Amino acid sequence: MIFREVEDRDLIAKARRGDVDAFGILVSRWEKRIYNYLLRLVGNREEAMDLSQDVFLKAWQNLKKLEDADRFSSWLFRIAHNEAFSLLRKNRPETALTADPAVADRSARLYPVELTLAVQHALTRLSDDQREAVLLKVYQGFKFDEMAEILGCPVSTIKSRLYAALDLLKDTLAPVGARGVQ
Amino acid sequence: MTCSSIDLKAYVLGELPESEKGLVAGHVRECASCGEEMERLSLTHLALVSLRDEEVPRRIAFVSDKVFEPRWWQRVWRSGPAMGFASAALLACAILAHGLLRPAPWAGPSVTVDTAAVERRVAAEVNERINARVNAMVSEAVAKAVFDTNLRQQRRTAELLAGVEKKYDLQRKADLLAFEANLEIVSKQQARTFMASSGLEVKP
Repeated sequence: MIFREVEDRDLIAKARRGDVDAFGILVSRWEKRIYNYLLRLVGNREEAMDLSQDVFLKAWQNLKKLEDADRFSSWLFRIAHNEAFSLLRKNRPETALTADPAVADRSARLYPVELTLAVQHALTRLSDDQREAVLLKVYQGFKFDEMAEILGCPVSTIKSRLYAALDLLKDTLAPVGARGVQ
Repeated sequence: MTCSSIDLKAYVLGELPESEKGLVAGHVRECASCGEEMERLSLTHLALVSLRDEEVPRRIAFVSDKVFEPRWWQRVWRSGPAMGFASAALLACAILAHGLLRPAPWAGPSVTVDTAAVERRVAAEVNERINARVNAMVSEAVAKAVFDTNLRQQRRTAELLAGVEKKYDLQRKADLLAFEANLEIVSKQQARTFMASSGLEVKP
């Protein structure tokens, strides 16, 4: 990771000087993380793909505003957060919860795909803020203070959202997790 | 440590410092309700992390976007002919700089070079130099031999002279001794003669 960070810093420096190829390498390194973060946040592949394009385009346009190259990941996820919530605020309907076939039978052992569906469904039951907190913490591995920087709110708010999300997920996923790891 | 002071969620999410992890783990082993809660949270976390990342459906690329289009000087710079032109210009500059910085050569009138004459002249010059060098070496060797010979002759002469002087010195000493003996005899004879003529008895 240390070497990776050093190389990212070099690439960022080159990209700041207008090196498109260097920025292309940065995109290839981060696109999967950003895409999956956005996909789990907005729940739609096409929208996640379009948002990913927008995120990297804005990153390129604003790269010179990045003060500390070591904070590139937080800065990039901050852009992704803004793009995603801009879309969610605009057109996300409050969809009714649908029955999840994967968790319909609570006695049978789950296959991996069923476990995946169960987790995806459980995530959709969270509020956008709660889901985003889970995504940043569980899937992206950010610390509380980094999440606070990305989301622009205090650490206490982050913990509140995350703990509330865990309480909700626990009811659904604890039995699923138990069956999934049998 | 009480149940209310235990942050099981922070433990599961990896946010607790190492110093507190042991305390929480110890409490969970002793407290049944906290143990059950820890198990539920761990299973939840396990289920969450089982969700795998999807591959990006298509490559995110912005090369076709306006903002990524190279500027006019970038297009010129990256084009092949331009690079060729730049290389030629660089080479021309290097030659020009070399010509300006190098000391000017002799700018006499142009002459037709007679190669054979030059070769003959060079050969003569070489022979002349070789002969001069050989003569110098021979002269030096002869001078050294003469010097050595003279030195040996001088030493020999000195040795002979010393021998002769020694011989004549011995001879002179011998002559001197003989002369002294003869002189004594003569003196004795003269004394006898004088005493005889004086009527004195001469004792034998």
